[in-house]
Amino acid sequence: MAVNVKSTPVRTSATHRSRRSRSRSAERIRSFTLFGAPGLLVYACFVLAPIAISFGYSLTDHNPFNPPTEFVGLRNYRMLFTDEEFLTSLRVTTILTVIVVVVPNVAGLGIAVLLDRRGWFYNAMRTVFFTPMVLSSVVVSIVWTRMLDDEGLVNQALRAIGVDRPPGWLSDPGLALYSIASILSWQMLGFCVVVYLAGLQGVPRELTEAAEIDGAGPIRRFRSVTWPLLAPALTINTVVLLISAFKIFDHIQVITHGGPGTGTTATIAYNVLQTGLVANRQGYASAMAIVMLLIIAVAAAVTLRVLNRREVNL
Amino acid sequence: MKEVRVPWLRPVAALMISAFFLVPLYMILVNVFKQGEKITQEPAALPVPPTLDNLTGLLTRSDNLFWASLANSVVVTTLSVIVLTVLSAMLGHYLARSRSRWARVAMLLLLSGLMIPPQVILMPITQVLRAFGLMTTLQGLVLFNVGYYIPFGVFVFTGFLRGIPIELEEAAAIDGASRSRVFWRVVFPLLRPATASVLIFLGVWIWNDFIDPLVILGPSQGTTITTGIYRSIGQYQADFGTVFALMFMATLPVLIFYLFLQKQFVKGLTGGATKG
Amino acid sequence: MKHKALLTALTATVVLSACSVGQGDIQQSGDATAKKEITFLVFETPNLTPQVWDAAIKRVTDKYPGISVKKLVSPSEDRVSYAKQLLASGQFPDVMIAVSPAGFAESGAMAPFTPDELKDFAFPNNGAVKGKVYQLPTNTQTIPVVYYNKELFAKAGIDAPPKTYAELLDASAKLKAKGITPFVVGGGKDPFASTLAWTATLATDLYARTPDWMAKRRAGTVTFQDPDFVKATNKFADLAKNGYIDKKDISRDYAATEQAFLDGKGAMYPMGNWFAAAGDDAKRKPKWEIGAFNWPSDDGAPVVPAFTGGGISVSATAKNLPEAKKFALAYTLDKANLDNSVHNDGLYPAIKGYTPPSDTGAVFKLGYDLYQQGVRNDSVVQAFGWEAGDDGMPPGLVDKWRAAAQDLITGGRTVEQVTASLDDEWAKAS
Repeated sequence: MAVNVKSTPVRTSATHRSRRSRSRSAERIRSFTLFGAPGLLVYACFVLAPIAISFGYSLTDHNPFNPPTEFVGLRNYRMLFTDEEFLTSLRVTTILTVIVVVVPNVAGLGIAVLLDRRGWFYNAMRTVFFTPMVLSSVVVSIVWTRMLDDEGLVNQALRAIGVDRPPGWLSDPGLALYSIASILSWQMLGFCVVVYLAGLQGVPRELTEAAEIDGAGPIRRFRSVTWPLLAPALTINTVVLLISAFKIFDHIQVITHGGPGTGTTATIAYNVLQTGLVANRQGYASAMAIVMLLIIAVAAAVTLRVLNRREVNL
Repeated sequence: MKEVRVPWLRPVAALMISAFFLVPLYMILVNVFKQGEKITQEPAALPVPPTLDNLTGLLTRSDNLFWASLANSVVVTTLSVIVLTVLSAMLGHYLARSRSRWARVAMLLLLSGLMIPPQVILMPITQVLRAFGLMTTLQGLVLFNVGYYIPFGVFVFTGFLRGIPIELEEAAAIDGASRSRVFWRVVFPLLRPATASVLIFLGVWIWNDFIDPLVILGPSQGTTITTGIYRSIGQYQADFGTVFALMFMATLPVLIFYLFLQKQFVKGLTGGATKG
Repeated sequence: MKHKALLTALTATVVLSACSVGQGDIQQSGDATAKKEITFLVFETPNLTPQVWDAAIKRVTDKYPGISVKKLVSPSEDRVSYAKQLLASGQFPDVMIAVSPAGFAESGAMAPFTPDELKDFAFPNNGAVKGKVYQLPTNTQTIPVVYYNKELFAKAGIDAPPKTYAELLDASAKLKAKGITPFVVGGGKDPFASTLAWTATLATDLYARTPDWMAKRRAGTVTFQDPDFVKATNKFADLAKNGYIDKKDISRDYAATEQAFLDGKGAMYPMGNWFAAAGDDAKRKPKWEIGAFNWPSDDGAPVVPAFTGGGISVSATAKNLPEAKKFALAYTLDKANLDNSVHNDGLYPAIKGYTPPSDTGAVFKLGYDLYQQGVRNDSVVQAFGWEAGDDGMPPGLVDKWRAAAQDLITGGRTVEQVTASLDDEWAKAS
């Protein structure tokens, strides 16, 4: 802009306006190429383009081991709606996502309120809670498998206190999904704690004190003073949890392989990979991936809208 | 207030919850220093006497797996997060300050991309990389990381920027500074806490990623540490001591990194908004 | 300032490691120009350590100094999926071991072996795809052998291994009455570990009657809902229903399952004969004695389910195809390598004129003798779920079948549902 200012001498008022708007749009293009374009370009190459390629495949019966590939229109999409396995994976993903978004958020807030004090002790606690977040999913999965299988630590402990036949955390088809959801919640909980703590420590003392003087009890104070100020923390937690929930793949691969039995813990992501890579039906797998993307886009849009409104209302 | 009456209640409750929470971490830690045979028999017992065999065995592998992949991980993660921070701060700033509809559309597009499991689009990604001649190169992996994770950087930076008054920038612009100058001299320094969170988050995610390096770097290019671990589980599946040592060593660098940046990190996420 | 220091440290590390990475590359490419390089995809297990592979490769390259080998390691034991990923991303290895050729062969990714190249193999046509062999039929494996814990058998008052299926059920009942889990099974991330008893009942009740059942299934003249398949499936499902298989065990991965049997957590362990490697391992050997028998049929007639294959395949697009094939054969036929496969993995080499070394362990001998008896009285059949090429199921179906085994163990689906859905899946997959 420094250059612009120099090279634009003062004009008569008649031409001044159009000149200025032209230089403004030039400026807009310049700032887009400089600031917006590089990031968007890399994103387009490595996310949007692959999605477009996937979409192309989803209209075919592509199977790399069974050429030729033929165009089949929307057949793959129609098949999805009657594919029991796909519908199951939709259910599994939904349950996992809901649990993984809600449980760490709620529990994290509770623990954050508990830890909302200063001093080395509480700082150390905060680090403890955050640690699982930096562990790789492979590590988490291995440790938890060792803890939850029938000879694992949890059942050893239950037997020690006299439970005769403790539950099969990962082998009972009705329970395995919830065990995995708990493992994920464990991993994500610390992150929520840390973020809520930051939010809590940003709440000005004067506000809560003023409310106290007005005679508001602790619950009332929390609801009408603290909670609204935690809106940004809620946004960040929810978005990060959503991201993690939709991506769940490694845990399934390492802990249950989609089982026990048929598809009891198979998420959409897991199903896409099994269908594409193991059964070689890549056209069909691409259709699953595209449907998954649509669901994700809707989830992202709704979440942002709801959360933004909350923040704006402050 | 209640606390005044029972001052010990809060720390005790905190300790109890965290003890429960810590069990899996404790499992990793004690078993790193325990002899392999004892791990299955008494997984929770303290390592008496402690042994360093698991760790030394890992560090002195004949094929140098640990050190070679550690170097790769450091290069990939560092390069990726540096480029990511720069690009996403700029893009985030651009989108946060733009009032056009397209900016919102771009934001939504970016965010939905962030939730895609990379495995699902990995094969087309390799096709793109091959078209650019970047398959099996570190640059290719770094570029992919940048493209895939840029939405998160943008998300954090735009959130943080909303808490920074635009008047600062306008004042600088009136003084005749170019947009880049305003950004790097005035805005970017203010983004420090957000930068810390982006560094930590993306650092952790990229460090822990194993499927993308596995395929993009390919089998002949060496590997990153997380991929290396995943790969050696096959060999060590009956030798839990080494598995735990591997897990411990892979986690240590990111944990240290987090401890370094944690103060800034937390501020960056909830950013300007909570301050106001 | 702390941050500056951190940044400097990071930059320094990056520069240093970038240098070291670069150097490694230069050395390797220098090597490759002098010799013909081939890439070789292997996988690591507790028995097949990096040292074992390196030594085995070196024995061959010492013999053929013109060939240099770059070893690639599969990230998990699922090397087939990995090979597919590599193929799809343009990095298919030149030579690979124990990668089932299904799919690769039909699409032309693998090169077939000529009858002349196969002249030293005992079953040269095993695992053929459309009549051509793409994977050297190197070893035979009996899947499963039933290994049992003699101490627990004695405790339950069983003095001899069961000879008929009724005796097997009787023994199971006695064990269960003593509070001993009759069968050790697994699952978790290794779903195959849930299926071995089913492979066994399918051997005695399906393959023993109709050896070419799978070919008929391909032709569409039989279905999974035919009486023999249903009978075998019912037998398997009943084992779980009667509590002879503990449904809780299906979250246990393969390594833990093996350990569970060695720790005496169950009396019988139907598993491939490669278990011998662990059973004979001086460090892991249990204090009690391990016995073995073939899964009994109703009338006691011997049936030995076995699979021959598992060897090396060569990429059709290998840069140095002649060298790749030369390496594949030399590696496979090397006496020391064969002996090692016996010692390390408990395999039976299917090479003409080869006899296992005399110093094999007791558990290996148990399985090997049972197999030799099977060969003598001509009772060897296919091992269901392990067949390859034209003898096997379409890609992806094995995984459905394994999941179905877990459904039967947990009672999540009935035998009727399982067999009907297998027919469905077959239709989708082919």
